[in-house]
Amino acid sequence: MMESDDKLREQLKRAWRRGAGDRRPTFESSWQLAQGRYAAARRRYRRFASVAAITAAIVVGLNALTSKDEPTYIEVADLLESTYWSAPSDVLLPHREFDIYQDMPVLFESTKPAGGALL
Amino acid sequence: MRDSDALENNPHVSRSALEAIHGQVYGWALSRCDFDHATAEDLMQQAYVELLSGSARFDNKSTLKTFVFSVVQNLARSRFRRLSSRLRIVKQYRQETVNDAAQLTEPVDNGVWRAVRALPARQRDIIELVFCRELTIEQAAAVMGVSTGTGRVHYDRAKKALRSRLRDWSEEDS
Repeated sequence: MMESDDKLREQLKRAWRRGAGDRRPTFESSWQLAQGRYAAARRRYRRFASVAAITAAIVVGLNALTSKDEPTYIEVADLLESTYWSAPSDVLLPHREFDIYQDMPVLFESTKPAGGALL
Repeated sequence: MRDSDALENNPHVSRSALEAIHGQVYGWALSRCDFDHATAEDLMQQAYVELLSGSARFDNKSTLKTFVFSVVQNLARSRFRRLSSRLRIVKQYRQETVNDAAQLTEPVDNGVWRAVRALPARQRDIIELVFCRELTIEQAAAVMGVSTGTGRVHYDRAKKALRSRLRDWSEEDS
């Protein structure tokens, strides 16, 4: 069995050598070309990375320029001149909130009529 | 351990070790692409690029030869997967394109090799790896991405089929 294996192996090797021919490139040439391709790929990657970084920087810069988070105050003159009014932003709300238990409003009662109605 | 000519991104691979197996790798690449020398050379360069860049990283878990053969095998698979999908699209419009392509990639043609090529793909691969590329069945199975047991089965079946085919042909000739 082993003997026939060896025979088959020899036959195959011979057939392979005959068929494949001797056009095998040298290691040196293949290696040089592979290194060239690797260097080109690295250059492409670097170029792409730098373009991506520049684009990101531009986007962040533009964003920073256009966004304004400063509070805007209502001009009294504007308010008086117009019937349109929009609510101010939350930053204008007072920090102190009304506490019903602490800040009990002073209630007053009167039994004196004023023009037919109770005060 | 790092050789003096070890690759920067692949410290366990040295240039001299690759040079030593260059011929075998080329032979394997050649049979992966229907004996088209230009494609084989391109495939082999791509394999070297993968090693240079560290995309294919060798960790000494197998022999270098097994590892490089696997890289070539995977590259060939992905390349021909892409190619076959393109051919399928073309085939829908032009049937003759496929026939032309088949004629262009005429394989090595002689008696024994013709018998090998007539085998199913896995049997053909394992026979080539063991008989022509001097790998063990375990290493060949690793390159093919199958278990050693499966590799042995393919190997035995391939040998039997090859022997019977060669016997038939010699009887026909005589």
